[in-house]
Amino acid sequence: MFRFQSLDEDCTLEKEEGLVEEEDEIDQFNDDTFGDGAIDDDWQEEHKRLAELEERKNEGLGGLGLGGLGMGGMGGGDASTVQLPPPASRVPHPSSLPPPHHSLSSMPPPGLEDRGGGDLAESLAMLILGADPAIASVGGPTGPGDRSTGLPPPPSMPQQHQLPPHQQLTPSGLPPGPLHPSLLSYQQHQHLLRRGGPPMQQMNSHNIWENNMGFGPVSVTPGLVTQMEDSPLMSIIKEVGLPNRPPPVMSEDGRDLSERAPPPRSSSPVIGSPPVRAVPIGTPPKQPMSHAMNHHQQIHHPTTVHVRAPVHHQHRYPPSFPERISPNTLLNMANSPLCRPPFPAGVGPVLSQIQRAQMLNSQVAGFPRGCQGPPLLPGGGGFRPFFGQPPPHRMGPHHNHVPCPIIRHNTTHLHPQHRRMLTQRMQSRGGERGGRVGDWRSRDPYSNLMTQREKEWVAKIQMMQLQSTDPYLDDYYYQNYFEKMEKRQERDRDGVRKEHTTKLITPQVAKLEHTYRPVQFAGSLGKLTVSSVNNPRKMIDTVVTSRTDDEEKREKQVWNKRRQILYTVEKMYSLLLEVQDFEKRFMQTPEEQREALLEQHKTHTLQLYASLREKEWDDRVSDEQCLLIMSVRKGKRLISRLIPFLPPLQAAAVVMGIARNLPALAKKDKQDQALCWLVEPVAVVISSLSSAALTDLLQELQGSEGQLSKVLQNKFGVTLLYLILSEGERMQSSDLNCQLMDDNRWTELVFSVTRELLNVPPSSLSPPLFTPPNLLSLFSRYVDRQRLELLQEKLQISSLSR
Amino acid sequence: MNYMPGTASLIDDIDKKHLVLLRDGRTLIGFLRSIDQFANLVFHQTVERIHVGKKFGDIPRGIFIVRGENVVLLGEIDIDKLCDHILQQVSIEEILEEQRLQQQAKQKTEKAKVTALKDRGLSIPKADNLDEY
Repeated sequence: MFRFQSLDEDCTLEKEEGLVEEEDEIDQFNDDTFGDGAIDDDWQEEHKRLAELEERKNEGLGGLGLGGLGMGGMGGGDASTVQLPPPASRVPHPSSLPPPHHSLSSMPPPGLEDRGGGDLAESLAMLILGADPAIASVGGPTGPGDRSTGLPPPPSMPQQHQLPPHQQLTPSGLPPGPLHPSLLSYQQHQHLLRRGGPPMQQMNSHNIWENNMGFGPVSVTPGLVTQMEDSPLMSIIKEVGLPNRPPPVMSEDGRDLSERAPPPRSSSPVIGSPPVRAVPIGTPPKQPMSHAMNHHQQIHHPTTVHVRAPVHHQHRYPPSFPERISPNTLLNMANSPLCRPPFPAGVGPVLSQIQRAQMLNSQVAGFPRGCQGPPLLPGGGGFRPFFGQPPPHRMGPHHNHVPCPIIRHNTTHLHPQHRRMLTQRMQSRGGERGGRVGDWRSRDPYSNLMTQREKEWVAKIQMMQLQSTDPYLDDYYYQNYFEKMEKRQERDRDGVRKEHTTKLITPQVAKLEHTYRPVQFAGSLGKLTVSSVNNPRKMIDTVVTSRTDDEEKREKQVWNKRRQILYTVEKMYSLLLEVQDFEKRFMQTPEEQREALLEQHKTHTLQLYASLREKEWDDRVSDEQCLLIMSVRKGKRLISRLIPFLPPLQAAAVVMGIARNLPALAKKDKQDQALCWLVEPVAVVISSLSSAALTDLLQELQGSEGQLSKVLQNKFGVTLLYLILSEGERMQSSDLNCQLMDDNRWTELVFSVTRELLNVPPSSLSPPLFTPPNLLSLFSRYVDRQRLELLQEKLQISSLSR
Repeated sequence: MNYMPGTASLIDDIDKKHLVLLRDGRTLIGFLRSIDQFANLVFHQTVERIHVGKKFGDIPRGIFIVRGENVVLLGEIDIDKLCDHILQQVSIEEILEEQRLQQQAKQKTEKAKVTALKDRGLSIPKADNLDEY
């Protein structure tokens, strides 16, 4: 786990803050991979020292009679094999191992164990005695003698190494009953299984060391009591544990490895994700479990209930264990201080009232350690030797050579930063005073896994989501609710007490519009488009064109008018259709109803005309109306169909109207020339016109100045003109008494027409639909030969008709 | 509430014993150790509690990390106010057995219902995968 974490970039962070030397770090990592037995201090030196001891011992002392201890009972081989996994995993460093280590680890299980174990124990004891002046002063010479009473076969080297560096005098509570498997760690469990539950009696041999390790359950064996009792040294040894030089890490810069606190987080580049931890939160410390496993068959010392004082050098060893028992220690007590753990509780609460009070006291008071040790043991359990006041005194003079037994609760195998964080956390926790809750929380070894910083971080994210520029828009219901609440409170209080509920104040951050400006490199063509969630790619370049109100109104008006015209046209059409169908219906209806039908028909036709004509004048078509209707294609068609049904007079009026408005109509008709539909009916009408009417028509057609030219531009206009002219010609030629010539109008008109025809450039003269044949004869009447020829050419009038 | 008055936040629930009901119907009880902005939860010393009838059984599960979207509800458990006199705790094997029997019975009735409906020409789609619709 640790190793895995170290693969990412946090590794560098660790290197900066954490370990001092590369080598140490590597060793650290390697140690971690060794599993539970791995330690983080320099085992090499330890090995050397112990090796020296071993040699010295081998020279000086003989083998100790440790038969009584019965290594075999321990599951002899198991004892060493159990601890062998760690050393086994250290096989990568075989070369550096001093020979004694090898000899120890490769001992044949039952036979030499006694001896080797005794040797080691003795050497260790000597080390302790030699190292610690206090102990030495107490019972130096009797050391070996004591050993004879039954030093346990030593734990394997790794354990030895573990012992020295940290004064494992952490208090350990002992469960009153058998351990529940679920409460032990996995490794503990394994050890248990492997060991097969060693008999109690045999565990006494491990007494010192295991006690000094400070974990694990301890059971009482009466047999050993006497043994234990009679050696003050033993008790002292038990008390003191195995002092040793502090781990190099510690000595370097006083960094402390906190047991459970994770190393500091690196700031994560990813927004919204918590900073990464090198060691995952809640990484259980590596060491204690194995120890617990080893020591779970500890023997109670019936006499003294000692509390081990947490020792700590302020400057050198930052508070490793300020006020509390290490969580793992507590766990090793086979219980968690949490009331009613979720697991089936096989054990009762760990700490007795006194101990709890003591712990609370020590924590709440924020004790600078060293004074009051946390209570170690439950009432019924085993206990650790008590270490009273001494450590603080001895701090000063002693931290040079031998580290005083410092209670470093199971922190050896933690990453240095981890340890430091844990101590910091414990410090901060020491200030907690929240009554019962605080008490309960502080007793929870896993509390505050989420640091204050993390909590603030989550809170910050939640706050960010609450920011808004328009709270009533974003969170209407909450605002209302809050107002109601405030009013209610005011009402309740009546202003007696000015107690205001805390109101959440969120920063009013103006929401800035961030427009995406594509990244552009200097000197490059085009722009990079990197799309992300926050600036998505532009799919379509949409441009909003908003029309102004005026324009809208005008457009609307136009549309409305057109709609109206169309509506009128439609209505007229319906009438027209009925008129058209009249014939058919007439045939079908019986005689009686024919009269009615006829009437109806007449009405319709009148109606039709009525819609066209002028308000007052009956015989004149309303220009406006006509224009409107004719502006629509359908309207033109309508008129063309309508004319045949109209009475002659009215029809003539319509045609007149058309002629009158022809320029306008022509202009509108440029596109689709729908006027041409009108040719046929108009022709019919013209042929029925009187001469006067004809003249009038021609006059209308000519209308104002310049009208004719416009007319000529239009096909229909030209055609109409021709029609008129040809009609006039026909009149003249057919009827000698034609009144056409009576007044000069006709002549003048024709003259003007011819003039116009001659003047008009050919391009603007649109070809007619058809050219009446008698035009030539008409023109020949009025113009001379020269002009006639010109006209002929222009109009492409063939003289074939002649 | 001390962080953000007027809001609901899980920050004050940290390190307290909680009961959480998940979307798949499981009930977990544990100490809430850590949260994040999605209400992903980290539970410590978790126990899965299976209820069958009036009996229940606890299966210790260790550390649980629950994705926030799978939480139906979450409530603090009062440690002091302990257990019910109505519910009876049994061993894990027993409760699992009971659960199995319950599932069996349910399946049987369901099957009977479906066949009955089928005989009448009706069919009701199964709602068990609605979430993954």
